[in-house]
Formats: sequence, structure tokens, C-alpha cells
Amino acid sequence: MKHFKETLYDAVCQEYRIDKMYFESKTSHQHLMIFHNAQLGRVMTLDGIVQTTEADEFIYHEMLAHVPMLAHGNAKRILIIGGGDGGMLREVVKHPIDHVTQVEIDQSVVDMAIEFLPKHSNGAYQDPRLNLVIDDGFNFVKNFANSGEAKFDVIISDSTDPIGPGEVLFTDDFYQYAKQCLADDGVMVTQNGVPFFQADELQNTQQRMSSLYSDMRFYCAPVPSYYGGFMTFAWGTDNTGASAPELSVLQQRFSALGIKTRYYNPAIHGASFALPQYVIDSLTPSTDNIENGQ
Amino acid sequence: MSALDNRPLLTLESVDQPEQQLAHYQQLLKQHGSPLLVFDANVLRNKFESLQKALPGVDLYYAVKAHPDSHIVSVIDALGGGFDIASAGEMDLLLKHKISGRRTIHTHPIKKDQEIRDALRFGATTFVVDNLYELKKLVNYRSRIGVLLRVSFRSESAKVDLSKKFGCSPDEVIELVSAAEKLGIHIKGLSFHVGSQVDNAAKHVEAVHACHSLMEQINLSADKPLSVLDIGGGFPADYALAGFDIQTFCAPIRDALSALPSDWHIIAEPGRYLIAPAVTSITTVAGKSHRNGFVWYYLDDGIYGSYSGQLFDHAVYPLQVFRGGEKHASIIAGPTCDSIDVVAENILMPSLEIGDLIVGHQMGAYTAATKTRFNSLPDAKLIVENL
Ligand SMILES: Cc1ncc(COP(=O)(O)O)c(C=O)c1O
Repeated sequence: MKHFKETLYDAVCQEYRIDKMYFESKTSHQHLMIFHNAQLGRVMTLDGIVQTTEADEFIYHEMLAHVPMLAHGNAKRILIIGGGDGGMLREVVKHPIDHVTQVEIDQSVVDMAIEFLPKHSNGAYQDPRLNLVIDDGFNFVKNFANSGEAKFDVIISDSTDPIGPGEVLFTDDFYQYAKQCLADDGVMVTQNGVPFFQADELQNTQQRMSSLYSDMRFYCAPVPSYYGGFMTFAWGTDNTGASAPELSVLQQRFSALGIKTRYYNPAIHGASFALPQYVIDSLTPSTDNIENGQ
Repeated sequence: MSALDNRPLLTLESVDQPEQQLAHYQQLLKQHGSPLLVFDANVLRNKFESLQKALPGVDLYYAVKAHPDSHIVSVIDALGGGFDIASAGEMDLLLKHKISGRRTIHTHPIKKDQEIRDALRFGATTFVVDNLYELKKLVNYRSRIGVLLRVSFRSESAKVDLSKKFGCSPDEVIELVSAAEKLGIHIKGLSFHVGSQVDNAAKHVEAVHACHSLMEQINLSADKPLSVLDIGGGFPADYALAGFDIQTFCAPIRDALSALPSDWHIIAEPGRYLIAPAVTSITTVAGKSHRNGFVWYYLDDGIYGSYSGQLFDHAVYPLQVFRGGEKHASIIAGPTCDSIDVVAENILMPSLEIGDLIVGHQMGAYTAATKTRFNSLPDAKLIVENL
């Protein structure tokens, strides 16, 4: 195969030239590839869907890691669900944390990412503060919720799409257990798809999370390889201080952190919670759709 | 006594150079054992090209169910064909060949939720439905998919009626399209399957006309126009060995299609026509007896194996033997202990000996696909030639 055609939508599809295949595995029901593309660098696809590319992963990872962590201001214990490529971990360990647990369902994804997508983790899997757990993310939060262990200040759900191995990370039960793993002033964020094409996903998450958190919102950033404009991230917390930090506070925290970013900055942080009108509108669906959708 | 079985039977007298053919088959048996199915990839290529010529501008999606075999898939893949799939097993077969879901359509009108999810993970985004219950199952996935609405047109001549079990009536189409629109599901076109192994194209033509006018009528007001017409399968195999000509058969369909707007996308799901003639069965006479005035021959393959299509698919395959001379009323039976395991009930045949071959022609479609495990007999092995 010389081209990769995404199979996410029936009527439109993005096509990537495969310049060099680094890795391909086909097991029943699962097809994973890592290849090079001149424009985007190394690209990882799973079941016909682009997961991450070297060229634009920074937007996604910076926004899903730094927004909750800098908003919280004193995040010491972090939980990452999924994120086997290591990009999220790389951003998280830039903070002065005490501990990060990453739960990945498949050790081979981590091994493969270290070997074929080395820039994503960039050594983060060696960090002594990391506890890498190979388990189903759902099982993990379910067990952890009742374990009495110290809760997390930030939980980041870096999942695949709702259809596929990440399915359970989009269920009511998962959100409930995750909340029980979160400290009272903690923040939970999840990747939430591209609402221009997947408005339903936005509504489903809103239904699941809004009953759990006093502050449930979305923020967004455009990730070019997630075709369709803005990607949304779901945000849930009971910590009202974290919800709307002053720009000056963010600036202070950010400069104290002293890291270089390529998408994130304190102004973008605040601005990313401003949603385009079509996104706001799709959060209040027409009655026809409510009646028949579920 | 059952009626005379008058299927085509080739004997020593009826073919040129039978010795060469026999030597070839014997060589295959020597190498691979008996029974065999022999798949000739050149025949499949040839049929694919003929059908493509007979239906210019129509994209062909091989109906994998007709013969879900890896070698067959690889030949269709190399020809650039698409695939009509109906189960997770069929998708697995395509995944082995790294065939993109974008080259497939999922045509099973009734699906469990898990099957829809499996299909989406595989990358199939075109689904077929024929009623409101099925439409509702697709609501959760509506942002990703395109849907064909299957309409029923029953053919009197079809050997296998595929419009009895599936397909909405043409009168329901407009209502279902508007129900789908309300559910936020895009119906991108109509599909039909007039039945398998039809004698003539009259039903295809009627269905194309009917779908054409339904689609035009809907497009007058629809905000997302219908633009795909899937004309299904039904193209026959030449079981009568009568020199069937696909160009002639398809001429009226070509005419009907030529009236459609040129920006519509026309597809077909041929199974039988493509693969039936590409596979030949070779069996060996394992035993012989004389009972009730008949000569009985017991083969090492039968109704529970490669000849299962005689039961499930109502097909009667032409046979070939390598003997000549006087013909006797004979019965050709399969290897299992069951009495329905009979390939030919009352057929006039030259006398055969134990160890002789009986060859079945046109045995690629719905043959191995429906074989059973009865009596734990070994399967006929599939041998590939000219890959
Ligand atoms: C939905 C569908 N498409 C295509 C086919 C293939 O039909 P044929 O072998 O007559 O070409 C079938 C046969 O059962 C079918 O059910």
C-alpha cells in the first residue's frame, strides 16, 4: 500500500502518502501502522484512523496536559489513561509533580512507540516518578476508586475513538469511577473528538460528565491531522478556582515552570474555553435528534 | 423412481483432447490427494474483465460470501475490485490482505450493534438497511456512515430469491428516506438484489427504472441527494454449458443505466458469475455397487462437502467423466452415511471403475462456502493455478 486512506467518515476522507513503513501489525480486528509522511513526519494509525503525527502532536499533548495542570496550580499526582505513544507523559513530567500513573492496556503499544515514535515520549518512560500500569483503563479506575489510595489531582483520558479498544472509556461507569479517583479539587480532562463532524460525541460526553461536576465545559484546539477543524477536550472539576484562573496567575505559573511550548501559552489557555458558535449550538441539539438519538 | 437427471455430462466423446485434461487432473490428484477444488485465477480475471466490459462505469464489489477464500480475494484485490462483505469473518479475511475498508460495502441488512462497531473498526462505512428498526441502530454512528436502502424486486426466474427475505417495498422508500433524514442519517442511495442466478435481465432493468424514478423524485426535495445505485448480483453462471454471453445478458441493463444522471455512482455485487466458472471439483470414485437396477458410484466428496450447493443453492453442476461408450442408469453418491448425500440420482453414464475421476464444473460459487463438517470427513483441498 502506497497510500493511507482514513476510514473515519463515509463521505470524506483524508489520504496520506506512505513514504516509508516502519511498523505494521495486523491482529484480528486490529490494524496498527507507523509510517513516514513527508509533510507530517511519523504517523501512527489504528484501524484506519490517524492517531498521532510527529508534526502536530504538540498541539494535542500540550493542550490536554498543560491546561488542567496549570489551571490546578499545584498538581502533584497525575493519572494518564491511555496515551501509549508517550506524548502526554512527556508533557506531564515537565511539571514539578510527585507522581504519575499511566494506565495503558497493551505493553506492546508502549514498546512499539518507544522504538518507532521516539520523539513522542522522548525518554519520559524512564522518569522515576512514573508508575506504568498495564491494564484496562476501566478496570484500573474501578479498582482504584475503592482502594483508599491517595487520589489524583489531574486525570487525563487520552483515549482512542469511542469505537474500538477505547470504547469503555466513553461509558457512564468509567466517568463515575474516574471521579472517585479524583481529589476534591482535582481536574479531569478527556479528548473529545472533532465536533464539526462528530457533534454526537460532544453531546454524549456532556450528558455523562455534567451531572458529576459542578463545572463541566469544553475547550478546544485545532489539530490538523484530526481532520475537521477544532478538536474539543472535555473539562470537569468541582474546583472553581481552577475553572477561571486569572491570566496573570497563569502567566506567573507558566513562567515559573520555565518550559518552552509551541501551542500552549496562558492567553491561548483562557481563549481555548471560548467555543465557536456551531459547537455551542450542537450542545443544545434540536428536538428531533433528542427524540430519537440516545 | 426419480426423474432422469439430464444435466450436462461430458464424456470421452464430447470433448477434444480428453487425455490431456485427464492427465492434468491425475497429476493434481497425485500431488495433492483427493478430493480437490481447483481454482484457476485466469478464469476469474477473465470473468471480471468481461463483466466490467459488459457494465462499463459500474464498480464491481465481489460478494465475498460466494467463496470466501484468500487466493480469490488476492486476485480481486489485484484487479482493483471492491468487496461486498456481510460478517466479521469476511472482514478478517480482507484484513489479512490489508484491504482498506474504503473498498468495501457492508451489505447485511440486519446487524447486531457489535457487528456495526466491528465494521466501523475495520473501516467499512457504507451500510445497507431495509427498515426503521435497522435505521435506528445506526443513529449512534450517523456522523460516520453512508447508508443504502435496500428495495425488494422479486424475480420469478431467480434460482435463489434474495428479495423475499430482505428489501423494503418500493412504496416504502420515500417514507424511510424521510425517517432517516429525521434521525440524522444520510441515505446515499438505493440497492437491490433481484435474486441469484436469474435467466434474464428483465428484473434488473425493472429495478433500475424504478429506483431511478424514486431517486429523482426524492432528490427534488432532499437536502442531501441520493446518488448511489447498487444493482446487486444475480449475474448467472453457465451451468448448462450453453455458451452464456454476459455482453448480451447485460445489454438491457446497460441501456437502463445509460438513462441515469452521469454523476450517479453505480455499483454491483457480483458473486456467482465471477467465481463459479473459476473453480473445478475433482473427486475420485471410492466404491461401486449394483443396487435396484442402478450402478452406484460412491465419491470422496458430496452434498455435505463441495456439492453442498446442490442442496443450499439449488445449483446443478455439469459433470465430466473420462470414459465413453454405452450409458447406464447410474447414481452418484457422496461419502457420508446419509441417504440425501447423492450428487446425481438417475443419470445416464458410461461405466466407471473404482479410482476413476468425476469432475464437476462451474463449482466456484456457494460450494465450499456452505460445506459442513458432517462425518468429520476431510475438506476438498483448494488448489490454485495461474495465480
Ligand atoms: C447482498 C448480496 N449481494 C450480492 C450477492 C451475490 O449474488 P450473486 O452471486 O448472484 O452475484 C448476494 C448473494 O447472496 C447477496 O446476498
